[in-house]
Amino acid sequence: MGPAPTITLHVPGPLRVYCAGAEQLSIAADTVRAALENLERSQSALYRNVCDETGTVRRHLNVFVNSDNVRDLDGVDTTLAAGDVVTILPAVSGG
Amino acid sequence: MADRVMLTIGTKKGVFVAEAAKPRRSFALRGPFGPGVPVYATLIDTRGTPRLYASSCNPFFGMKVLRSTNMGKSFEETKSAPAFPKEDGRALANIWSLEPGRGRKELWCGVEPASLFRSQDAGDSWEMVPGISNHEHARKWQPGNGGLCMHTIIRDGNRVHLGISTGGHYVSEDGGGTFRAANQGVGAGFAPDPYPEFGQCVHKIARHDDAPGRLYMQNHGGWAEWSGPGGPRPDIGVLRSDDYGHSWRSIAKGLPSDFGFPIVVHPHDADTVYVMPLEPSTRSCPGGAPAVWRSENGGDSWSRLARGLPKKQSYFTIQRDAMDIDRLKTPALYFGTTTGQLWIGREGGEKWDCLFDALPPIHNVKVAVV
Repeated sequence: MGPAPTITLHVPGPLRVYCAGAEQLSIAADTVRAALENLERSQSALYRNVCDETGTVRRHLNVFVNSDNVRDLDGVDTTLAAGDVVTILPAVSGG
Repeated sequence: MADRVMLTIGTKKGVFVAEAAKPRRSFALRGPFGPGVPVYATLIDTRGTPRLYASSCNPFFGMKVLRSTNMGKSFEETKSAPAFPKEDGRALANIWSLEPGRGRKELWCGVEPASLFRSQDAGDSWEMVPGISNHEHARKWQPGNGGLCMHTIIRDGNRVHLGISTGGHYVSEDGGGTFRAANQGVGAGFAPDPYPEFGQCVHKIARHDDAPGRLYMQNHGGWAEWSGPGGPRPDIGVLRSDDYGHSWRSIAKGLPSDFGFPIVVHPHDADTVYVMPLEPSTRSCPGGAPAVWRSENGGDSWSRLARGLPKKQSYFTIQRDAMDIDRLKTPALYFGTTTGQLWIGREGGEKWDCLFDALPPIHNVKVAVV
């Protein structure tokens, strides 16, 4: 088994303050779950905004791999390939 | 020297700060602070150099605690917010109460799902208080309409009183190490047993330093017409205890409704207590005519205070933490509405003026003289 592919995590504007202003992060991960685990280790403040204490992605956030919502793929078990872009976006809601 | 009256106003879209000189003729408003998300708890911490705190309950990115060290000119996130241990299985849904603890930096925080956290460093780090958070009843409590929230934390020396909706009243007599349910006389209208050991929908609890053992409670009333198992439960909504919360008795006679959310005690007279009766079905004042009701004899009788308030067609709700009273010689009451109005009741509530009439819906109002 080779090294995990390197993917790009796109950070939404409101969360950049938790990762020194970075717009995107390079992460080695072969699934979305592994990417989040990597984030928990390397960017814990950012991670807490994305996942709750149980490790679940917060209810009003959507995670996309390229242009697909992981909800329509395999959830956090969605596999990643080198060059994929993972985007975290707040769901549209308000009032 | 204390010479400013400061208000923190927690709203649906952040926290505001209002400030006035002692005569309280006009208040200057600052804010909103935070990322435009609900603020259910605020604290004006007057221990040492004043610090202001606000919960910031972000439905997207989770819970934060905001802190101001410059009298509310700006707020910053503390280094961390309360969080359950990963293996616990619960996740923080809201922050409902912030209260000062011992010394100058200890803070207590009540959250949803109902649990208690404590910080020893002014909110930068937090630990769960297991005596109540892991209480044998904790997994049996049920959420009320506002969620399963720990909204009241009252410290009285080594005693700690907690109000939980819907869990009831719990008391610790060992500084928060262990807790037990203390709800004798506290009724519930939504269970066949009208007086269960725990599980009541307590809305708010208040006490006064000069009356040891005295507590006042606004409970979930409005059950006088209930005709199901257990029979009607009139007057269970407004209660008083004189034995540190071990037993409670109704003081609701004379009120137009025993339903409401806030309950506030006069700072200089433990017998003077204020409530805001609401119709239980609409959570608005009877007849659409808002009024605060005051008792000056510990709940034996009540009088209506409405001079200056709208006389009709006003259907706002006043939430559990949206009323407070300052500590000046002749204190003023303050309440905020779900329609974004902030009212001041001068001369102990005798005359009301609207300070701000178009804020976001108001969840929380706190006042201090600093």
